[in-house]
Amino acid sequence: MGRVAGIDLGTTFSLIAYFEPQTGVPKCIPGPYGSTLCPSVVSVDEDGKVIVGEPARALLLTKPERTIYSVKRLMGRGVADVQEELKIFPFRIDPAGRNVIRVSLGDKWFTPPEISAFILRELKSWAENYFNEPVDRAVITVPAYFNDAQRQATKDAGRIAGLEVLRLVNEPTAAALAYGLHKQKRGYVAVYDFGGGTFDISILKLVSTTEGDIYQVLSTNGDTHLGGDDIDNEMQRRTRQRILQLFQTDLANRQEDIQELRQILIAAKHALSAEDSVLLRFDPAGGKMFEELLTRTEFEKWIEPIVARTMTPVKMALADAKLTPNQIEEVVLVGGSTRIPLVRKTVGDYFGRAPHCELNPDEVVALGAAVQADILESGVKTMLLLDVTPLSLGIETMGGVVAKIIPRNSTIPASAQELFTTGVENQTGIDVHVLQGERELAKDCRSLAKFQLKVPPGPAGLARIEVKFLIDANGILQVAARDLRTNAEHTIEVQPSYGLSDAEVERMLEESIEFAEQDFSERQVIEARTEAETILAATEKTLAHPRASELAPGERRAIDDSAAQLRAAMAGSDYKLMRERIDALNQATMHLAEILMNGALQTALEGKRLEDV
Amino acid sequence: MSITQTQRDETGQAAGTNCWNCQAASTGAHFCVACGKIQPLPAGTDYFAFFGLLEKLSLDSTQLESEFHKLSWKLHPDNFVRASEFERDLSLNRSSELNDAYRTLREPISRVEYLLLRRGLRKEGTTKQQAPPELLEEVFELNESLDRLREARAEGGDLATLREPLDAAQSNFQEKLEEVDAELAQIGQEWDVALEAGADETKQQAMLARMNLALNRRSYIRNLVASVQKELAEAYTRLV
Repeated sequence: MGRVAGIDLGTTFSLIAYFEPQTGVPKCIPGPYGSTLCPSVVSVDEDGKVIVGEPARALLLTKPERTIYSVKRLMGRGVADVQEELKIFPFRIDPAGRNVIRVSLGDKWFTPPEISAFILRELKSWAENYFNEPVDRAVITVPAYFNDAQRQATKDAGRIAGLEVLRLVNEPTAAALAYGLHKQKRGYVAVYDFGGGTFDISILKLVSTTEGDIYQVLSTNGDTHLGGDDIDNEMQRRTRQRILQLFQTDLANRQEDIQELRQILIAAKHALSAEDSVLLRFDPAGGKMFEELLTRTEFEKWIEPIVARTMTPVKMALADAKLTPNQIEEVVLVGGSTRIPLVRKTVGDYFGRAPHCELNPDEVVALGAAVQADILESGVKTMLLLDVTPLSLGIETMGGVVAKIIPRNSTIPASAQELFTTGVENQTGIDVHVLQGERELAKDCRSLAKFQLKVPPGPAGLARIEVKFLIDANGILQVAARDLRTNAEHTIEVQPSYGLSDAEVERMLEESIEFAEQDFSERQVIEARTEAETILAATEKTLAHPRASELAPGERRAIDDSAAQLRAAMAGSDYKLMRERIDALNQATMHLAEILMNGALQTALEGKRLEDV
Repeated sequence: MSITQTQRDETGQAAGTNCWNCQAASTGAHFCVACGKIQPLPAGTDYFAFFGLLEKLSLDSTQLESEFHKLSWKLHPDNFVRASEFERDLSLNRSSELNDAYRTLREPISRVEYLLLRRGLRKEGTTKQQAPPELLEEVFELNESLDRLREARAEGGDLATLREPLDAAQSNFQEKLEEVDAELAQIGQEWDVALEAGADETKQQAMLARMNLALNRRSYIRNLVASVQKELAEAYTRLV
């Protein structure tokens, strides 16, 4: 088994972190460009090669049609759900896709979990290069407000990337863990997580027990479509309007210009966290330079409505936790968008205290994931996380009304049992429709799945099927059914409303291996074999040398034995064993090498006077 | 969402049966006293018993919470990541039962509802929505006031004068809600005393029936208050 890691699979950036036992702190792992941030951008070149991260981000400018960003916005969603997104994001979506979105990338169609898997594989290789060991298990974070389908899609992405997902952890909760607040604090904590594409608020209670410290999430709320992207889009909208006004130049349908302007505006947004104003310079079309000063005051006026939108979930989460703002003892800020001074001020004013932002808001979620990964891996529990399900689970009843069976903010794992029976004589199936959401009518909630319970024909009301709905520690629903009359397990075939079947995930896992670089251990095996071949060839050559006869018979036998053992190891795929035997052969040929070296030296020195040497 | 089709049979594992691991005859509440392994949930465990409590309605919420934390620490799936699939399953089921039990027992109303459910006086998800007879007149008046409000809104009439009777009705029903809560608390106390004294089944059933009536009354008034609040909020937000 390889190592474990914590991964923050973000809308804009993704990170991988590990827990360092020597120091007792988690650390983010840098990639080949020195940064710990891997842009969540994927590009596919003409040869079908997949490019991820920083180089893919550069390709957004030159090859926008072969490059995709912010794919997290599409996770676990259907074609009908993302129509709003399509107006702003340059996603090219297969209109024929039914319950799974397929995005065009290069010359192929990919599902969002497959694209996310490319990012996960990239991060995995960062860590493998760092440790020089394979990484095969991970804790991956998700927005607290992600629904079942979005969580399942994230888990699928992990599997497609060749990772066993030990646990999905909610991003704000991970951030609280990273801060290690339990070491000095007790009481109520609010985590305000404003990232690239999602907004979450979680209210936690820190408690001590005789066994250890517990992070108990009391409530969570959020908006899975509210983030820094929205700020960028608003800046884009206003600037494009201004360009149209000044130069009568419409940037619509000019993907390369749009991407360039987008990067200029993002840089300006970042600069305005420290500066009072920034100069926007952009060349919309030959010679006409757009140049305008953007002040922080003006910028804040633009984004004020977006920042205000975060406060509704904050108030709802507090109400659900039955708390008032002044009862919150610590406020933690997470996500790149919390660098914006207006965001800090809004949050600080509301809670009446300065928020925590000591840790890098980009890294804090990945760090927390690494802490949880270590707890799960080492089996040494230093603290316990009790999280909640963000949305109520319900089933459709008569008239399209939803009966809530597990209320939102229930601690997970959580379960509910429902008894189903037939309504008419000789009915052979009972339809069950599972939903998630707070609205009263099924049509306003998120459909998770539909299935039919098969029953033998008989009088109405005779069948008694008990269905157990269980939300696991990942926030993912499991369903099991049992016939109460026969006590037999009941087979149910479920068609998830959005998402991939197990078979599809398996197939994608196989396909992804073709695309991505070889697996770490495979790579190690190939490298070890090559090295073994080189050393075996060199040994053979030196043994053929006349001076090899100077070896003692025992030494000669040792070399032959070591070489044979190495050849045997090469037949297998244990690269560690191969390395061991390479070392052994090196050891055995040491004297032979010396003999030859001395001989070579003598030959070289012959005929030379001492002073020439 | 994933589907488990091969969940293990939990029946026949009532408390007192042998430990699945070491076959010890007496197992503890959650873990075997002999080998320490987590035990399957007996069929039809009740939430009170899960916490080792009698079916009493007065509960020390601080104590319940600390017991919840203690059991969470032991039963949570985090502890079983490296255990066998069977044990992982037991942990998942037992910790979800713990969370369900705590969620139900920590609120006084859901606690009463649960007791009545266990004792067969209520069915899950059903509450009677008939107006209690003694409230009929007031409910009738309230509905008239609400009708007038809706009419005035539809026709753009003067809303301000309609507010007073509605506000009055709302505080009247709010008061009634407090009364019924007090009544429920009173019956709850009597129940606890009776339970401790070992009251017979007939006596218990009579008390449960009273609780059930009070609970129905409460749920009716609560819905009423909520709908008045909603109407008021819709009609007057723009005026405030």
